[in-house]
Amino acid sequence: MLAAQAPPVPADAATLIAALARPAPASTAYTEVRFARPLRAPLVLHGQLDYGGGDRLGKRIDTPYRETTTIGAGVARVEREGHAPREISLERVPVLAALLGGLSALLGGDTAALADRYAIALGAEGDAWTLTLRPRAAELARHLRAIVVDGHGHEPGCLSLEEAEGDASVLLLGELARAPLAHAPTRAQLAAVCRHVGT
Amino acid sequence: MSPLRRYALIALCWTALGAAALSVRDGLVIRSDLRSFMPPARAADQRLVTEEIGNGPGAQLLLLAIGNAAPPQLARLSAGLAAALRTDPRFTRVLNGAEDVTSLDPALLPYRYLLSPTLDTARFDAAFLAAELEQREEDLATPGIGVLDDLLARDPTLEVLKLGQRWRPAHVPQVREGVWFSPQGEALLLAQTRAPGFDPAAQAGAIEALRRDFDGLPDAGAAQLTVSGPGYFAAAAAKTTRDEAERLSAIGVLGFALLLVLAYRSAGILAVVALPLAAGALGGLAAIGLTFGGVHGITLAFGFTLLGVAQEYPIRLFSHRRAGATVAASTADVWPLLRLAIVSACIAYLALAASGVPGLQQLALFTITGLLIAGAVTRWLLPEVVPLTFDDVAASPWLERLRARLAHMPRPRPLPWLVLAGALTAVSFAPTPAWQNDLAALAPIPQAQLQREGELRAALGAPDVRYLLVLEAASADGVLRLSEAIAPLTGQWMSRGIVDDIELPSRYLPSLATQRARQERLPDRATLTTALDAALADRDFQPGLFAPFVDDVETARSLPLLTPDAFMHSPFGARLQAMLVQRDGRWFGLAAVHGVRDAQELERGVRAAHGGDVRLLDLKTSSEALVADCRERILVALGAALALLAAAVAVAFRDARRAWHVIAPMSLATLAVVAVLRACGVSLSLFHLVALTLAAGLGLHYALFFERPVSDAAEARRTLHATLVCVISAVLVFGLLATSALPVLRAIGVTVALGVAFHFCLSTQMAQRRDR
Repeated sequence: MLAAQAPPVPADAATLIAALARPAPASTAYTEVRFARPLRAPLVLHGQLDYGGGDRLGKRIDTPYRETTTIGAGVARVEREGHAPREISLERVPVLAALLGGLSALLGGDTAALADRYAIALGAEGDAWTLTLRPRAAELARHLRAIVVDGHGHEPGCLSLEEAEGDASVLLLGELARAPLAHAPTRAQLAAVCRHVGT
Repeated sequence: MSPLRRYALIALCWTALGAAALSVRDGLVIRSDLRSFMPPARAADQRLVTEEIGNGPGAQLLLLAIGNAAPPQLARLSAGLAAALRTDPRFTRVLNGAEDVTSLDPALLPYRYLLSPTLDTARFDAAFLAAELEQREEDLATPGIGVLDDLLARDPTLEVLKLGQRWRPAHVPQVREGVWFSPQGEALLLAQTRAPGFDPAAQAGAIEALRRDFDGLPDAGAAQLTVSGPGYFAAAAAKTTRDEAERLSAIGVLGFALLLVLAYRSAGILAVVALPLAAGALGGLAAIGLTFGGVHGITLAFGFTLLGVAQEYPIRLFSHRRAGATVAASTADVWPLLRLAIVSACIAYLALAASGVPGLQQLALFTITGLLIAGAVTRWLLPEVVPLTFDDVAASPWLERLRARLAHMPRPRPLPWLVLAGALTAVSFAPTPAWQNDLAALAPIPQAQLQREGELRAALGAPDVRYLLVLEAASADGVLRLSEAIAPLTGQWMSRGIVDDIELPSRYLPSLATQRARQERLPDRATLTTALDAALADRDFQPGLFAPFVDDVETARSLPLLTPDAFMHSPFGARLQAMLVQRDGRWFGLAAVHGVRDAQELERGVRAAHGGDVRLLDLKTSSEALVADCRERILVALGAALALLAAAVAVAFRDARRAWHVIAPMSLATLAVVAVLRACGVSLSLFHLVALTLAAGLGLHYALFFERPVSDAAEARRTLHATLVCVISAVLVFGLLATSALPVLRAIGVTVALGVAFHFCLSTQMAQRRDR
């Protein structure tokens, strides 16, 4: 029933990216599962993403602790409750910069900008699709293997950052942010959640 | 001599001079560093001042701004320029904001627990580690925001990061696109030159290289590079002065040539009139090259000014040619007096050689050699090459009318005394300070540029060029202990807003005692492991992850302490090396001062702080004191020169009364010039003194020749003709300089032009013989 109501999977990446465009400012709740090699279990964070248009992005963590990262004018400003704010040049945090670049191009529907920086591949399975962005610049590829967006119809569901060294972040967006997760979810469990978008 | 031989000889002379000029130029290093013109420092502190005036941390910095393009392009240009300058040996340090504060020399990594202040207030116990590890876990949530994984395992308390932040200037510009940007949207850079700030030639070279590098960047396009800072100002002032002097001199030389053609009705003499001066200048340069190896730029400027006297020699020779006599005969007639003028001037300049100031010794050597050679060329070469045909100037009727009028002018006996009294009164009651010691005031910087420099300096957080905090102790470690002792005080000054930042040496290296105390607070392996395990209980870190941390702490416990010597010779110690200097067995720490808001309060604070061991060095006041000291030596030297001159003239004349007729008008005219300048509110500088000396040298000639007993009125007319040509040419050339807007050129121009006029008037009054 639901599948029938959803719009058909676009035939090519450009059409899909154009359909994913959202006018700024746009906000969405997220749940992030962060796999970092020094940790034996992933961190699970809840909060909100705010896209302010252009190169402005806000990422708020509400639980398990409070932190706000604001990105703009080439600088990331991290304010953690109870600590002095830190300002870091985006060049020092290439993965964050790539996330911002990818998100703003996606939300702006700017296929050309995306294709400039990434090799884009689109895969579809039923009404679900997977957009894989692999960085073209060797410099970025040293830090980031791919940005993977899973979605359904015109709705992105998951945004995953695959870092070169093996760390990864999976952001469950919108409706999926409320999906129940295991205490320490595995990549496989998350993949299943992302793939079942819209079903 | 046949005309053909004469022309050949002239051509030969100029060819020889040209060749000599080339070889002298190749063998001579021209230095423009102001400091070699200062007296040799006597005390260690004074030597420190002379060295720091040009080498202070603020003075060597060039402040750069790149604007007029989009930020990403500006950032690329900033990176490109920084990369180019880092390979240029003219620059010792280039900062553009892209430096990684988390980097630390691997050799220093184990020392981080001794260098960082963490252990002064904390212990590596379970509670401290638990709080730190919670933070590190949260850091891992944002990719790239924390430290790299391998550093996390070694340094979970982020000592490397803390050191990086501690060693970074307190006020840095905003970082955009990975590099520094000003609030006005320009990319900012700091470039530290190897050359001292007040070496205009070296600074000009560095700036030229910098601009070349910038223009060579692939996408420089319409982007604009602004250079500012003391070195830039020094170079710009030198260039403006030189350009203006050259422009005015070129006009002056043209006028002089025209005057000569009119005065002697011969264009041919133009080919030979400059021979004595050119030969003298080259000879002087060669003498300096052989004796000193290099010459100071100011010595050259002063030397050429003083050598201007020699331009009178050929004029005397031309004006005294007589109809019916050979040039050899007429030259032989005036030669004894000319020789007396030359020799007595040379004897007088010996006084400069005795002054002990290297620049003045060079000046004396240059001038004496130059005058002797110019005299010799006038006496023995010029008669061979002067044009064969000439007009006897004594034949002109207007000259006779003028001579008669001058000769019959009333000469009231009290006049010189009245002039003396008036001059002394003017000097005593002059409204302004007698001396201008601020050399910078002589080459002022346009207000707009000064303001721009202030903006850039504030935006870049670059240290003040004027103030330096000096810490003195018996050893390098003593300086560091002193530095630690006053650190809380400087912190207060900063929080009270007196000063933005004081970069103490202990910020880079703690004293041995502090390092030892921190080392003793490091827990042993067992204690640390227990504390770490307790701290990790609530965390999800991989088991065994922090083994490298435990190992590093264990290593640090038994490290030999980091001595200043060892630290200074590590690649990271260059900063400290510039801050710790040894002079005469004492150690001095030089702390750069950033953004002085209240100099008086700062000075009071420093004085109250630690007695004589901590001093605020005001480089402006100190350099002015040095200039005053230098000037005093020059004054004494010139006083001695005058005494020597009087003695030489008296000995030559064997007649004190005749000597008085020569020396008195010269001295009185010099005093009168000083009086007029002072009455007009001019504060005198070194340049005025040199100009007064030149004018006195010219005045000596006027007095000597007017005083000369002559056989007939025709010879008196020739003397008057020569003197008039000399006076008019000097007034013309220096009067042009006097029209300049640049204070240094105006000082020389006004003084000489005024001096020549006074010397002429007083010589006619006091030295000229009564018509017989």
